[in-house]
Amino acid sequence: MNDLQKSAVLVALAAQMDKKGSRCSETHMQKAVYFLQRLLAVPTNFDFVLYKYGPFSFDLRDQLTGMRADGILYLTPQPPYGPSFVPTKLGMGLVKHFSKSVGKYHKKLNFVATCLAAQNVAELEKLATALYVTLDKKIRSVESRSNAINELKPHISLEEAAAAVKKVDKMVSAARA
Amino acid sequence: MLKNVHEFRDPVHGFIHLDSDERKALDSRPLQRLRHIHQLATTYLVYPGASHKRFEHSLGVMELAGRVFDVVTAKERLRDDVRAFLPQITNDDALSYWRRVLRCAALFHDAGHLPFSHAAEEELLPSGWTHERMSREIIQSREMKNIWNAMSPPPRPVDIEKIAVGRAKAKDLEFSTWDRILSEIIVGDALGVDRMDYLLRDSYHTGVAYGRFDIQRLTETMRLLPSVYNKEPELGLEEGGLRAAEGLLIARFFMYSQVYFHSVRRIYDIHLKSFLRKWLPKGKFKTTVRAHLRVTDNEVTAGLLRAMANSKRPGHEDAKRICGRGHFKVLYQRDAKDMSLNPQAALTVYKNARRKFGASDVEFDSGKQKGGALDFPVLTANGDVQSSAKMSEMLNEVPVAAFDYVYITPERREEAERWLKANRNRMIKKREVRK
Repeated sequence: MNDLQKSAVLVALAAQMDKKGSRCSETHMQKAVYFLQRLLAVPTNFDFVLYKYGPFSFDLRDQLTGMRADGILYLTPQPPYGPSFVPTKLGMGLVKHFSKSVGKYHKKLNFVATCLAAQNVAELEKLATALYVTLDKKIRSVESRSNAINELKPHISLEEAAAAVKKVDKMVSAARA
Repeated sequence: MLKNVHEFRDPVHGFIHLDSDERKALDSRPLQRLRHIHQLATTYLVYPGASHKRFEHSLGVMELAGRVFDVVTAKERLRDDVRAFLPQITNDDALSYWRRVLRCAALFHDAGHLPFSHAAEEELLPSGWTHERMSREIIQSREMKNIWNAMSPPPRPVDIEKIAVGRAKAKDLEFSTWDRILSEIIVGDALGVDRMDYLLRDSYHTGVAYGRFDIQRLTETMRLLPSVYNKEPELGLEEGGLRAAEGLLIARFFMYSQVYFHSVRRIYDIHLKSFLRKWLPKGKFKTTVRAHLRVTDNEVTAGLLRAMANSKRPGHEDAKRICGRGHFKVLYQRDAKDMSLNPQAALTVYKNARRKFGASDVEFDSGKQKGGALDFPVLTANGDVQSSAKMSEMLNEVPVAAFDYVYITPERREEAERWLKANRNRMIKKREVRK
């Protein structure tokens, strides 16, 4: 996937999130792309590391900023929350131009938007970190994964971690069904 | 009696203070080498005052990092919810250790820069190498380990390297919340002192007043605050510092659009890269610490002058363009209207121009400001903590600087301009997408 195709996929994702009634903060985009890439094998090829609020990609951050510079996305304030990414007309034109590439991932984009759109930042952090210990760290039992999350993110209690792991297991099963 | 605190006069921060241990690190070969690396590469060919070096920037970043550390860890400014999360902060020995680590990291964060800083970095290092990786190699070198070990308290090299380059450039290392906060004091997107220093210093030396902002207000109002989203501590501001943060962001935008992305500055970088590819053995810089320490702007400048004077030397044409001011000229630049028809308008013009005039007479350059949407905690006057994104619409309204330039050799400029005028609309409408 080249840069423009990636941009088209990101615009389509922001549009899907918007459709589901979600605000689309940078954290929403970060976690949604992590799920797309890691769980659903969409080849966006961003490099993720564990950071603030769970898995985070510095490349993706720069790509989103570049898309603002190119007039493909813009940030709009969404009181009482922070700003949200919204596709521009030019951005939607890009999705149309790459309709074949974007169309291939339509179901996956819809799946991620459905699962994550309604979550707040704290919940996104728990779910994305749960997916990280499940797929990247390849830890198996619910208890071990909960312990790993609590160790990586001490502000997430063991109970909250276990709940996130169970939710993620359901998402993994649904994605693979 | 021997002096333990040393002062350096600095045009940006007044005085910069070092203790005797830090002075030894400053006097090391890797730091002294930075006296010979221009902060802004070839920008002095456009803004004659921009002849400042990485050395004074490194000192400035160290001074600011120390000031911010002292402000955010001052006992009277710490909140209970932050204290509970960060045990280091209530232990004087631990604080003294981490202050040392932070200042050394700030001092060495740019030690790995190649000659002419960023201008020569891309394409001239072997795959997988960056100046940050080279900084880490230097921090871990035998010479520096001897200096770190003799300090009191002795900082661990791995702590220095991780705080110096931050999470983005040390993906192999694990970062605790505390490590992240310290590295963000230096390289943070929102409130990092690296950026604060370079904006003020570059503004001062170029004479471009846009880069100024209220740094005293900004650094004095920095606080460790719980995230509004998950309560994990992070760098934030008192409400009274918010306007200064907005000033920093606006300064950054103007410095990018007026200085860092200046079209002539960018073409000199391209000519320099082209020269270095021919001048360096095998077209690349070596990556051992020993080899790195041997090459500065001085050796490259001497090479440029020699190559300019002798047509048989490698890089003669590029050297002539740099030293004789025969640089390529802008033929086309980023245009919002064209981009609404074709997001890759500039690239399309470049590819067509290259076909028409030949690859050696046409150059292309493109770039965008990096970093993300800003969102940090703000302590309001009534003691609540709120998101900066909620409290300041301006923080995320500042435009993102970007550029695309197509350049043509000066000898064919008029012909190329006529060609562009005749073909521009047709070329741009016919969308060409990079596959």
